[in-house]
Amino acid sequence: MTSLVSARNVSKSYGSVRAVDDVSFEVEKGCITGLIGPNGAGKTTLLKALLGLTDCQGSLSVLGLDPFRQRKELMQNICFIADVAVLPRWIRVYQLLDFVESVHSRFSRKRAEDLLGRTKISAKSKVRQLSKGMVTQLHLSIITAIDAKLLVLDEPTLGLDIIFRKDFYGNLLEDYFKEERTIIITTHQVEEIENLLTNVMFINDGRIVLDTSMDALPELYVELLATNDNADRARHLNPIYERDVFGKKVLTFEGINREQLSGFGELRTPDIADLFVAKVKGATA
Amino acid sequence: MIRGQFALLQRELWEHRSIYVAPAVIALLVILTTLTAQVSVDGTHLDLGIIGASNFPENARAGALTVAMLGMSITFFFAMGILAAFYSLDSLYAERRDRSILFWRSIPSTDFETVLSKLLTATVVIPLVTFAMIVVTHLVVLLTTSVWLAIRGGNAFHLIWSSAPFLDVWAATLVFLLALPLWLAPFTGWFLLVSAFTKRSPFLTAALPIAILPLLEKMIFDSGVFAEALFVRSVKMPLFIDLSTMERIFDDVDSLASIGNAELSLLGLMDIGGFLGNPGLWLGLVVCGLFTAAAIYVRRYRDDS
Repeated sequence: MTSLVSARNVSKSYGSVRAVDDVSFEVEKGCITGLIGPNGAGKTTLLKALLGLTDCQGSLSVLGLDPFRQRKELMQNICFIADVAVLPRWIRVYQLLDFVESVHSRFSRKRAEDLLGRTKISAKSKVRQLSKGMVTQLHLSIITAIDAKLLVLDEPTLGLDIIFRKDFYGNLLEDYFKEERTIIITTHQVEEIENLLTNVMFINDGRIVLDTSMDALPELYVELLATNDNADRARHLNPIYERDVFGKKVLTFEGINREQLSGFGELRTPDIADLFVAKVKGATA
Repeated sequence: MIRGQFALLQRELWEHRSIYVAPAVIALLVILTTLTAQVSVDGTHLDLGIIGASNFPENARAGALTVAMLGMSITFFFAMGILAAFYSLDSLYAERRDRSILFWRSIPSTDFETVLSKLLTATVVIPLVTFAMIVVTHLVVLLTTSVWLAIRGGNAFHLIWSSAPFLDVWAATLVFLLALPLWLAPFTGWFLLVSAFTKRSPFLTAALPIAILPLLEKMIFDSGVFAEALFVRSVKMPLFIDLSTMERIFDDVDSLASIGNAELSLLGLMDIGGFLGNPGLWLGLVVCGLFTAAAIYVRRYRDDS
């Protein structure tokens, strides 16, 4: 596999705050990577560095390019939604299509029009006349019609209703399988994208605390659901985090052989949200 | 690159509709004003005027028409200055205010190309649109005047169409409209820079230093270099050979008759070579270039989205 994104010792400071702190990772071609982190963890800063919107220290290569210095070349092959409200409000839909068509060599107007045909968005509408969901649909249609190698989605469904979010991810997945795309996505609604992801990265306080494929997750992490007595005994095996569920204890273990835990109680692979809490809270405990 | 630049310029026209709406409104006002004047004016005086004009020598009629056409254009000139100033102040500020800058930066065009499109809009597109509106206004007003002359028994072809020095007036107008932004380019550059960095109220941010720096200079150094530079830049455009000729024409239209056989040519009043060779022009363009480069730098490196 080839790396589309390669970051080595990337840092970015705002004044005395290190928003991204000595981060290294790779994103392979054809992966859907979830970048998960609490507010202020440095997610958006990291994405901005990837997109060439901000300068950073360290070595960062996206599609073989230096994002900040070769942003124009990079944008030929990257699409991103930074936030839903980002389309200019004064522009009309057909103007937007005209514009993107003239500046983007990889944009298929027909594809965009097909996609828009499935919505209630009229070509003559101004963006300010559209509802929030329609603006996202419009933005998504445009981005889907660009044959990009890398798609970066920063909280793409923020503030949208459930039905729309389901459709959004459904379409995304469909495109992904059709086009062999590479996607980096951040969201707070982890459970919605959990099944989509091939890889997951946790970021906290500007540092990457987990970077793994979803397939490897069951080998790396295990949750033990145990009675209080069993939990006391299992605690010697150094769980990274512990919580109470319905009078029972849930202990999260990292890098442990499941056989060591057999007999203590029920074992399962933690879901991403629980694992995230375990990693972030466990680190500070 | 060229196609991309064209799309960026098109975008400016979509976003800033005042670029063509404002001159169109002025055109409408000028046309309506002349129409009202024609309808409401006292007939006897005019009939005499028509007879008088018929007896004028050809070049005097041409001179009178030149002044008339120039008179129609003057409002456009002022409006263009104001339009270009406010456009420049808004051009890099609006995209940050409505946060669409993230979308514009997701498009494969460099900050250089984007800022260039705004500079070109302020210095070339706005003057060209204004020029087109001026030509339309001239034609419409002269056409309605012709109708009105014909009703009163005057010979419009003789009085207007065969005499009007269209080529001279339009060529001179175009030269002036394209030269003025070059001369005032330092202001445009400054406005673009303010538009790129200010967090609020670009107008005040841009105007304050222009108002305060001369005062500070006077107080601290007791000199007036900056004020003098601003003054020269504002009113002494070195395009015209002799400004007093222009003033004389406007002060005393009757003197046209006394010009007699002398040809009044607007282009003849301009020294284009001298303007292009003026060191002040090039100094101003360099200053504009520095401000624009700074605006590009700010758009590229600022990170407050």
